[in-house]
Amino acid sequence: MTNVLVRFNHLAKSHIGILAPFSYFNIQHYSTTPPGTPPPQTKTKFGGLSDEDRVFTNLYGRYDWRLKGALKRGDWYKAKEIILKGPDWIINEIKVSGLRGRGGAGFPSGMKYSFMLKPSDGRPKYLVINADEGEPGTCKDREIMRHDPHKLVEGCLLVGSAMGAQAAYIYIRGEFYNEASNMQIAIAEAYQAGLLGKNACGSGYDFDVFMHRGAGAYICGEETALIESLEGKQGKPRLKPPFPADVGVFGCPTTVTNVETVAVAPTILRRGGAWFASFGRTRNSGTKLFSISGHVCTPCTVEEEMSIPLKELIERHAGGVTGGWDNLLGVIPGGSSTPVIPKSVCETAIMDFDGLVACQTSLGTAAVIVMNKQTDIIKAIARLIMFYKHESCGQCTPCREGINWMNKIMYRFVEGKARLDEIDMIWELSKQIEGHTICALGDGAAWPVQGLIRHFRSEIECRIKEF
Amino acid sequence: MLRITVQKALKGGFLSPKHVSPMLSKGTGDVQKKPQQIEVFVDDKPVMVDPGTTVLQAAAMVGVEIPRFCYHERLAVAGNCRMCLVEVERSPKPVAACAMPVMKGWRIKTNSEMTKKAREGVMEFLLVNHPLDCPICDQGGECDLQDQSMAFGSDRSRFTDIEYSGKRAVEDKDIGPLIKTIMTRCIHCTRCIRFASEVAGIDDLGTTGRGSDMQVGTYVEKFFLSELSGNVIDLCPVGALTSKPYSFAARPWEIRRTDSIDVLDAIGSNIVVCTRTGEVLRILPRVNELVNEEWLSDKARFAYDGLKRQRLITPMLRNGFGELEPVDWECALVSVGKKILKAGKNVGAIAGGMAEAEALVALKDLINKIGSEKVCTEHAYPTTGSGTDIRSSYLLNNKIARIEEADLVLLIGTNTRLEAPLLNSRIRKGYVHNETQIFVIGPKVDLRYDYTHLGTDPGVIKDIEYGKHQFTTVLKRAKKPVIIVGPDALSRPDGAGILLHIQSLAKIIQACVTEPDWWVLNILHKVAGQVAALDIGYTPGTKSIVQDDSLKVLYLLGADENIPCRKDLPKDCFVIYQGHHGDKGACMADAVLPGAAYTEKQATYVNTEGRAQQTTVAVTPPGFCREDWKIIRALSDIIGKTLPYDNLDQIRCRLEEIAPHLTRYGDAENGNFYDVSLDIGKQSNVEIETDPLCVTQNCLEDFYMTDVISRASSTMAKCVSAVRQQKSSQY
Amino acid sequence: MASLILRSRISTSRILKTCSANISTTLSNFADINKAACLKDAKQIRKEVALMKREDIIQKQEHDNATITIEKPSEISTVSGIPEEHIKTRRVKIYMPTKNAMQSGTDNTHHWEMEFETRERWENPLMGWTSSGDPLSNMNVQFTSKDDAIAFCEKNGWPWFVQEPYKCKPMKPKSYADNFSWSKRTRVSTK
Repeated sequence: MTNVLVRFNHLAKSHIGILAPFSYFNIQHYSTTPPGTPPPQTKTKFGGLSDEDRVFTNLYGRYDWRLKGALKRGDWYKAKEIILKGPDWIINEIKVSGLRGRGGAGFPSGMKYSFMLKPSDGRPKYLVINADEGEPGTCKDREIMRHDPHKLVEGCLLVGSAMGAQAAYIYIRGEFYNEASNMQIAIAEAYQAGLLGKNACGSGYDFDVFMHRGAGAYICGEETALIESLEGKQGKPRLKPPFPADVGVFGCPTTVTNVETVAVAPTILRRGGAWFASFGRTRNSGTKLFSISGHVCTPCTVEEEMSIPLKELIERHAGGVTGGWDNLLGVIPGGSSTPVIPKSVCETAIMDFDGLVACQTSLGTAAVIVMNKQTDIIKAIARLIMFYKHESCGQCTPCREGINWMNKIMYRFVEGKARLDEIDMIWELSKQIEGHTICALGDGAAWPVQGLIRHFRSEIECRIKEF
Repeated sequence: MLRITVQKALKGGFLSPKHVSPMLSKGTGDVQKKPQQIEVFVDDKPVMVDPGTTVLQAAAMVGVEIPRFCYHERLAVAGNCRMCLVEVERSPKPVAACAMPVMKGWRIKTNSEMTKKAREGVMEFLLVNHPLDCPICDQGGECDLQDQSMAFGSDRSRFTDIEYSGKRAVEDKDIGPLIKTIMTRCIHCTRCIRFASEVAGIDDLGTTGRGSDMQVGTYVEKFFLSELSGNVIDLCPVGALTSKPYSFAARPWEIRRTDSIDVLDAIGSNIVVCTRTGEVLRILPRVNELVNEEWLSDKARFAYDGLKRQRLITPMLRNGFGELEPVDWECALVSVGKKILKAGKNVGAIAGGMAEAEALVALKDLINKIGSEKVCTEHAYPTTGSGTDIRSSYLLNNKIARIEEADLVLLIGTNTRLEAPLLNSRIRKGYVHNETQIFVIGPKVDLRYDYTHLGTDPGVIKDIEYGKHQFTTVLKRAKKPVIIVGPDALSRPDGAGILLHIQSLAKIIQACVTEPDWWVLNILHKVAGQVAALDIGYTPGTKSIVQDDSLKVLYLLGADENIPCRKDLPKDCFVIYQGHHGDKGACMADAVLPGAAYTEKQATYVNTEGRAQQTTVAVTPPGFCREDWKIIRALSDIIGKTLPYDNLDQIRCRLEEIAPHLTRYGDAENGNFYDVSLDIGKQSNVEIETDPLCVTQNCLEDFYMTDVISRASSTMAKCVSAVRQQKSSQY
Repeated sequence: MASLILRSRISTSRILKTCSANISTTLSNFADINKAACLKDAKQIRKEVALMKREDIIQKQEHDNATITIEKPSEISTVSGIPEEHIKTRRVKIYMPTKNAMQSGTDNTHHWEMEFETRERWENPLMGWTSSGDPLSNMNVQFTSKDDAIAFCEKNGWPWFVQEPYKCKPMKPKSYADNFSWSKRTRVSTK
C-alpha cells in the first residue's frame, strides 16, 4: 500500500505549516517559483515509453540483480560526483524533474526534501523508506526491491545526502521475505564495496542504511504509524502536527518517502531533471510503474509514461480486458483506496494525478484493478471495506467504529438485505469518517464506498428490490 | 537495530547526548525564548495566548468548553477520540482541538455547522458499540458519554444494524479488588492507560488488538495494583471502570456531597464525602492544585468502609470481670472524672495520629489545668535541640505543589510512595516533565521512578554535609534542590542527630539556592494530626509516659499505634481511651469514651506542609459517639475544671490564641527561623548511629492497613490479599 | 385635564395655555392626534393635597420619601418564624460547588451556595428513603456572589463560614509532540 494512505487533498502540503503558518491552505504552485521549475511540456500525446527511457531496466528480473549486474546497468555510476554536487543541486534537480511522491499522495518530492534543509538543532536527521507496500492491487515496490535493489540503495544514499540525513531506514513489509533478503544482500554488498557506511562512495559522507521488517500491518504504511512501528511501538498513526520533518523517528527530523520515489532519484540525477520532466503532462511529469491486475489478459507491472490514457495502458500492456473492452465494468485506478470508475469514465481517463482527480478518483499508487462484467461490484467493494475494517488500528473513533459499521452494511447490501434509505445513510457515514480521522486510512475506506454509490447506485437498489 | 544506530551515533561522536537533548518542539521552544503572545479568535472573541497553546486551551480561556473524551488536562494529549474536532476558518476539514497548536490569527469556530456535524458523527460512532445499559450502569448520572450525547449527539438513532447483528461485546477483566471493569462499555479513550503510565508509573495497562477488536486491559492477566489505582475510576468517562466497593450502591443524584479533608495520611487531600442516610457511600477527590491536584490515594478513597466496622458506639467501663461493659455517658464521665480527681497531677495523655486540633487543644488545656504537663503524641520526633519548637524543623517547608518544580530531590529514610502517595506523584511529575534527578538515602524501595541510591547508612548524610561525598557537588549545583526526610528516619533514637545533620546540610545547600522562597529542608509526616499537635505544644513520643512510674491515669486520645503496653505502665494506672475504633487502645483501656471519626465532625487538621484545613460533618456520629472536644469539655465540667469554650467558634478562638495559623483555613504558614533552629540543635550532641535507615512501609502490601480506620476496612484487607496473590502469580 | 390643573393652582394659566396649544395642533396634525390618544391619565391627587400650598407639598413629599439609615444590616430572624433553635445552633457553610471528579464538565459549579451543617439522617423503615428531623437540611440556596450569600445569612441570623474555592493554576501549553521526543521522559511508552 505504501502511502496511498497519505491524503491527496492539499493537506500533505501542510509540511509548509511548520515553516509558514497556514500557508498550506493557499495552494502554492511550485511551478511559479523560478528556481527548480520543470521545463514546460510540449508533447500532447503520452504513452509508449521507449526502452532507453526506462528507469527500471531489470523490472522483470531477467538480469542479475546483485551489485555486479546493477553496475552493468549503470547504477552507482558517478554517485560520488553527484553527492559532491551538494544538497542544493540535488534538490533543485529533483524539483526540475517535477517528481511527485509515488506512494499515493503525490506530494512534490523536491519540496518535501527541502523541508529537511532547515538549520540543524543538533538532532540527527533520518530518511525513512516506506517499503510497506500493502495496498491491495499494488505490486510495484516489491518488484524494485526484488529485482533492482541497488536502485533503492543508491537512491537512499543520494536523497539522504541531499537532506543531510545520517541514516536511512527501509521499513519493509513483513510478508516480503524474498524482497527483504534481496535488499539485505544489496545493502551488504554496498557496504562491502564501500558505497555505504563511513565515507560512502569515497565522498566523505557517512551514511548508513538499515532494513527493518514490519509485522504485517497495513496501517504501518502510513508514515507516522510507520515511524511508531520503527520505534518499536504499536503502529498507530500520530496526529499532525508535529510533522515528521519536525518530530519524526526517534524524535528527530525525518522524511518518509516511497520506494519508487527514491529509486528513480539516481536516474533523474544522472540524466537530469529536464529529461524526467519531458514525460507526462505538466505537474504530472515522469515515468511511473503501473501495476495492472484483475480481469485483464496479461496482468503485469510496467513502467510507462505518466498521462498515458487508461485504455491504452490496459490494451498495450495488459493485453486488454478479459472479454474485450466492452466487457469492462469498472476500474479502480490507483489501489484499493481509490474510488472505482465505471467504463464510461474509463474511456477517457488519463493516468496521472490531475487526470484522475478530474474523474473524482485518484492515481494513488497507480495500481489499476480492472473488473469486467462478471464482477459483483458490490461484493468487491464490500471485500475492500472488510480489508480496511480488519486493518484499522483502532486508535480513533470514526475509523474504529465507522468502518466496522460500514462493513456490516456493505455485506447486507451484497445480499440486498437493506432498506433503500440505507444507501444514503452509508454515504453519510462515509462522509462522517472521511476527514475526521487521525490518518488517511479512514478516508481510504470511505472512498471506495463513495465511488460505488456514485457510479453503481442503481446496482445496489436493484439488489435491495430483488431481496 | 535501533540500539545499534543510537550507540553507533554516540560512539561516532557525531552527536553527543548533549546534542540530542534539546528536542523541544518548535512551539515550546519559542515560549522560553520569546513569550510574545499571539492573537486568535474563538467564535469571533479575540484572545491572546502563548505560542504552543492548543485550540482547546485557547477556547477554555474565553470560557468555551470543547467536548472531549480522551483529553485530560493532567494527562498527555492523545487526540484519539475525535470528539473535540472544531472548524478552523479556511481549513478544509475540522481539526482536533486537543492537539492542534494555534497559529496566529486563527479563527476557531466551536459552534459552526461543520463542527456540530463532526461532533454528531463522532458521537454516533461512539454509541454504535456502546451498550445501552445506562439503567444498570454505575456511571449513570455522572457519565460524560451521557452528558455529551445529550448536548452534542443526534436526537435519533439510525443504528439499523441492531436488527441484524448485535453490538460488540468484550470480556471483562479482573484488575483487582477496587476497580470493576465492564469492558464492553469502553470507548477506548486511553485515559486509564495514560494515567497508569504517566502518573502512577505502572505500564500495566494498554491496548491489545486493533480496529474494532481493540481492547483496553492489562496485557496479561494480572491486577492493576497501584497506590493510586482508584483514580482511573474518576478518569473513565464512561462506566467501563467503576468502583467495586461502590457498585450498585447509589445514584449520583441521591447522594449528598460534603467537602472534607482526608486524614489517613499527612498530605491532607481534599475530598468529597458522598453520603446517603447517614452512611458514607464513597469518597471522591476534590480539586486542589496546592495539595492533591485531582488525585486521591487508594487508602483515602476506599478505606471508608472501615468507618462502619469496629466502631465504639457507647461509653464503656471495665467491670469486675475485666470486661468492658456499656454504660451511659453520665456514668462513664463520672467514674472517669473520679479517677482523674484521685490521680491529682499524675495524669498523662497520648494523642493519636488522627486527633484534630480542637480535641488536641481541649485535652492539653484539661491536662494542664489538672497540673500535668505530660501531653504527648504517639509518633516520635526529635525533641532535643530545636526539635519541635520551631516550625521550620518539622514542616514540608517548600510546600507540596512546588516539589514538582524541583530539579533535584533527595529522599532520606522515606518511602514516599506509600507514606504520602500524592507527594510521590508530585515527585514523579517532576521526574517526567522536569527531568528531576532523584537520589535516595535509605532502603531501596520501589518508588515508580528511577533514582540513584546513595546507601542505607545514615552516615552518608554526614559525608555529604562535610563534602566527602561526590554527591555534594551535584547537590550544590542544583538550582532547585529539595531534601525530603521521612518520619521513620527521625523517629529513631538518634533522630535528633540525623535531623541536625540534615539541617546543617540544608543550610549549606540553601546558601547555593538563588530561587526566592525556595526551601531545601522538608520533613514528611506520616499522620494527619502530628503537625497540629506539635503546633499546639505536644511532646512527640511516648517516652515521658513510659518512664513515669507515678502515672495514675493515662488518657489515650485515639492513640493506637505506638502506645505503651500495659506492662510498661504502673499497675494501678487507669487507662482512658477516647476514640472511634475498637483497636489496640480500646483493648487495654479501663474506660472507653466513643468519639467521632473524621467524616463526622467539623475539625481542623494541619497537613505536613503546615496547611490548616477543616473537615465538615458528612454524617452524624453513630450511637452515643460525640465530637471529641465536646467529650473533653464535658469531662472538664465534671472534674470542676471547666474549660472556657462552649461551642466550635469559641474553641477556635482558643486555637487562634495558641497559633493563629490553625484557623486560617486553606493557607499554609511558612516556616521560619531556619538558622536559629540549627543553632539550637547544635547544643544537643546526639550522634548518628550506624544502623541502616529503614522504613515501616516497604512494599505495597504495607500501604493499605496503617491506622484504625483502614485496619477495620475489609476493602483494604482485600487489597492486601490481592497484592499477596499477585506476588504468587507468574506475571 | 382637570387633574392637571388641580396639581398646582399657581401654574393654572400656563397649563391652560399649553392645553389650548395642544388642541389647536391636534386638529391639524394626525400624528399628534395619535400621540394624544396615547396619553395616559394623569395621576389622581387626593383632595387634601390638592388644596395644599406648594411649599407644604414639597415638605410632605420630602417627609414621605425620606429613608431611615440603620447601622446594622436588617435582621429578620426575629420575624422570619424560624424557631430559635434553628437560628442560634446552626452553622451555614458558604461555598462554591466543586467539580465532580467523575465528570469533565464544569456546569453548575460557577455559583455560590449555602448549606447547613449535617444533622442526623436515617433510613426510613417504611420506604427506605432518607428521613431527617432537620427542616433546613435541604435548604440549599444559590447565590451569584459570596457577598450575597453572606448578606443572606446575616439577615437570617445564621452563623456562617466561607469555604474558599481553590485557586486555578496558570495554564501551561500542552504539547502533543512531547509524546514522541526521544530524550524526554514524557515520551509515551504504552498505548
